[in-house]
Amino acid sequence: MQKHKKNSGKRMDQIAQITDEERDILQEIMNIAFGKAAADLAEVVNIFVVLSVPDIRIVDAADLPDYIRTEFSGFGNISIVEQNFWGEFRGNALLIFPSDSGKELISLLGDGHPVSFESQASDFLENETLMEVGNILIGACVGKVAELLKDMVTYSPPRVIIEDHPSVSMPDTLFDPENSAIILKTVFCFNERNVNGFLFLITSHNSVAWLKKALADFMEQYE
Amino acid sequence: MINVILIVDDSPISRKMLKSCIPKDGGYVFYEAGDGQAGLEMYMKKQPDVTFMDLTMPVMDGVKALEEIIKYDKHAMVIVVTADVQAQSIARVMEIGAFLVVKKPPTKENIQEALAKAQEKLG
Repeated sequence: MQKHKKNSGKRMDQIAQITDEERDILQEIMNIAFGKAAADLAEVVNIFVVLSVPDIRIVDAADLPDYIRTEFSGFGNISIVEQNFWGEFRGNALLIFPSDSGKELISLLGDGHPVSFESQASDFLENETLMEVGNILIGACVGKVAELLKDMVTYSPPRVIIEDHPSVSMPDTLFDPENSAIILKTVFCFNERNVNGFLFLITSHNSVAWLKKALADFMEQYE
Repeated sequence: MINVILIVDDSPISRKMLKSCIPKDGGYVFYEAGDGQAGLEMYMKKQPDVTFMDLTMPVMDGVKALEEIIKYDKHAMVIVVTADVQAQSIARVMEIGAFLVVKKPPTKENIQEALAKAQEKLG
């Protein structure tokens, strides 16, 4: 317990090193990155993505499950597409949809017509669709952040987690409670399908020192 | 002749980035606004020669602000500077009456090229 307290103190020092200006730069970079991700998705499927202003928060990773539970308290079930990324910029990307969204999205990757399948085939297709959409959005978004900050990242394969009751069973194993986390959140809407989704990039405090330098380097061209 | 430039973007950093791409020896007078509504009001008050407009903003987004500015002044020279590079978004703002669309992040090259085109159009 004592050790945890000590580590928490150290984390808070590191968190405090992210200035308001650095947070603003990161928000703008996330804005650019998600714009690129939306355009990439729109090229693959016939859909228009309505973007929102990204939100940047820095929290203790131990509080992340509670944070996500609160964010999704109004939802029933949710589907999470999770993908890890590694570079100097490293962390978890979580793309979260209300769980019926998979069915809505299936026809996007097909010919645009409604589809009906046996239950098992439908579940499989729904997962595949979520993974495909997740792969495009996460890859383009994380890739653009990395490109702007002159980094190169590799990715784990995406996986889909279906959560029946996010208020009680968010997967705590996704988060290392010993770390702090920078949350980059974007809310988006697939207009024609009335589907809302949330993209979180969660990066650990280990990336903070690199991130600060990369943000300063990025802004040098604007001095 | 371009004298007065209005920059409308909710991100102060983004406004700073864009402004830094414009030559400092151009003698321009700058005005800034942090959302579409404030941008529209500033446009009416300052009558800028060129307006740089972001799209994704709180209060009033850039599409609505562009519509209102064009309604107020059909000759308004509005250059959209946006991260939303979906073909549908670009087509929409061009249809409303944007002069050009520039992708974020702004660079000296693309902003100065846009200004040169605006200057040519204004004569």
